[in-house]
Amino acid sequence: MKKSVPIALVFITAVIFLLEYFVLPIELKSTVTMLQNWGIILTAFTLGFGAVNMFVFHGKQVSRRAKGQWPYSLWLLIILVLFTLVGVIMGATSTQYSWLYNSSYFALSATVYSSLGFYMTSGIYRALRAKNAESALLLIVGVIVLARNAPALAAQFPILVNMDSWLSSVPTTSAQRGIMIGAALGAIALGLRTMIGRETGFLGQTTEGEKGG
Amino acid sequence: MELASVVQIWLAALFTIWIYSIAFRDNPFFKFAEHTFVGAAAGHSLVYGVDNIVRYGWAPLTAGNILYSIVFILGIIMYMRYHKTYFWVSRVPMALIVGIGIGLTLRSTVTSEFIAQIISTASMKVLGLDAWAAFSNLIFIIITLATVYFFIFTFPKAQGGRLSLISTIARYGMMAAFGYSFANTVLSRFNMIFGRIDYLMNTWLVLPYAMLALPVVLILVIYAMIPAEKRPWPKTKNNS
Amino acid sequence: MTAKPKTIWDRLEDIPREILYGLLLVCIIVPMLFPIGFPVPISAEVKRWYDTIEALPAGSVVMVDFGYSGGGEPELAPFAVATYAQLFKKADIKVVTMSTASEGPLLWEKAMTELNIARFGKEYGKDYIHIGYIAGTETAMAAVGKSISATTTTDYKGTPLSKYSIMQGVDSAEDFALLIEYTTGGDQSEGWVRQWYTSYKTPYLCCVLAMMVPTMLPYQKAGQIVSVVSGAQAGQIELLVKAPGRGVKSADVITVTHLFCIALVVVGNIAYFGKKFSGGKS
Repeated sequence: MKKSVPIALVFITAVIFLLEYFVLPIELKSTVTMLQNWGIILTAFTLGFGAVNMFVFHGKQVSRRAKGQWPYSLWLLIILVLFTLVGVIMGATSTQYSWLYNSSYFALSATVYSSLGFYMTSGIYRALRAKNAESALLLIVGVIVLARNAPALAAQFPILVNMDSWLSSVPTTSAQRGIMIGAALGAIALGLRTMIGRETGFLGQTTEGEKGG
Repeated sequence: MELASVVQIWLAALFTIWIYSIAFRDNPFFKFAEHTFVGAAAGHSLVYGVDNIVRYGWAPLTAGNILYSIVFILGIIMYMRYHKTYFWVSRVPMALIVGIGIGLTLRSTVTSEFIAQIISTASMKVLGLDAWAAFSNLIFIIITLATVYFFIFTFPKAQGGRLSLISTIARYGMMAAFGYSFANTVLSRFNMIFGRIDYLMNTWLVLPYAMLALPVVLILVIYAMIPAEKRPWPKTKNNS
Repeated sequence: MTAKPKTIWDRLEDIPREILYGLLLVCIIVPMLFPIGFPVPISAEVKRWYDTIEALPAGSVVMVDFGYSGGGEPELAPFAVATYAQLFKKADIKVVTMSTASEGPLLWEKAMTELNIARFGKEYGKDYIHIGYIAGTETAMAAVGKSISATTTTDYKGTPLSKYSIMQGVDSAEDFALLIEYTTGGDQSEGWVRQWYTSYKTPYLCCVLAMMVPTMLPYQKAGQIVSVVSGAQAGQIELLVKAPGRGVKSADVITVTHLFCIALVVVGNIAYFGKKFSGGKS
């Protein structure tokens, strides 16, 4: 029952959505609308998991006074609580929360994303080598597109634009389409398997009785 | 400029420099910035989670829609996943989310990522066009078919002997695609670095004393990169 | 045992990363201090983006998803700002914005400040509005496509939507002439194809990070997306809209850094082949 009820719920919910889309759009419209709104609210509840996991993990680091780590963990928890208090009490779009966001999270997020550019530079230099035919092809296409992406080079050598256009519309799009079709088949198979209970990853931890298989 | 704006710019600039320092060496300033980032991310998610629950759940409930009390109960029991014994109770709301997700995705994935893509490929002409266009379309169709074959027929018999030509064509097609993606990734990241350096130069360094502070900040960061046992200060238990 | 002396190929193959990163920073900072003013050619996809918006008839309502996180702001915001400028320059175009990313509402406010919306004479609630962050990605897209009023009754600040004239007669995807997306997430860019284009055939313009463009090209080829562009092409749309900003500024830096990358590829391969043909092992 601990397994079969959730699996049955997945099946019934998914079937309702499929029936509404393909067979009974008017009869099931209000049910699907309600379920979609419930889905939004339940997803909102899941946004708290990160905070809970942070408290569990970093709380242990602080209580155990983990060497070299606990001051950082304590600071992390302080920031977490500060953001939460300001955001919930003053409002998620308040001037105060906006200030906090712009002075810390936004700058950190933008910088972390961009810092990978440094590692890419190192990667370009050390890894982009024409060691065999396949890597040579990757390198040649990469260099052509790098040159085209430089605005001055594209303006000076219009042939780069034509080459880039062909590379993007023929080999790139076709290979990506092949990957997309394969991934779509996989997603459909995974969805169907989950509906019939053959994929149970979403159930999470197993009980003692379930561990036997 | 208001003091709050000035403080905001200074904090954002310092965090930017501290995060970039990891490209050279790990150091306490980076660790501090990293933990600030993680804490802020978790806090921000929680704030907007609460905001959504209030706007899309609490508001209809207090407006008289009693059925929304069910979704509140389901949302709360989702946190039973942390309980040692009753964690299985959280499977019910998770099942609802998974069911909604599968229902929404299945009903349109077949059309958008399967049928539409196949129709688009099948409708490509190879006759009645100029040579280059016909050649390009033919290459397109061949690479698409080869790539689909490569991912679906993964067992050895389908990849060996003369059939290995199909895998070779697929791999070459994908190498071209990955080379294209790689170059675009470089463009993306460098654009982002430009954005942050532009912020430092044109928003922070124009503030009073920022130009004086820059070398001080850099010296402190470089000093912090020295391994703790070689640093004269602060003393750790090992080098005191 | 004495170590083998390093050959020129060894040295060329093993330039310390600190030097590489330092040179990269020089390639970024020098063009910013001494702008060159390299030209910015307009690509076909950006022209198509621009033309699609220009062709919108008066009275059209546009849905914009501000679905990017802070990490994507440096790349996507300039493109978003230029597009809003184009939309607001047109007479009688209404813009309804939502966010499928939790940072969306705050980043939208940032973009509106950068846009300096007052110069267009547009009024919040009458010409444009933000209906807030809605969790659930595709669930949110499907819900809003079916009925905005059944999903949310307030704007992003909590003010009832009934107070705003912009939302009169606008409730489902069928009421929108165009969908524009800015995102750093594949779930969002692909989700709109599944939930809006497939169901309602809403014309869809998609702006993503440059690294995500290849994965979106099959949708463009199949006609499901009108134009897929990257935020890195912001300089082009700024020139078309005649509102130069951060995008145009980045052109010099992008040119110099890309030339630097090409040089690194050449040096790395010279070192590799030099070592290989001189009998050394890489």
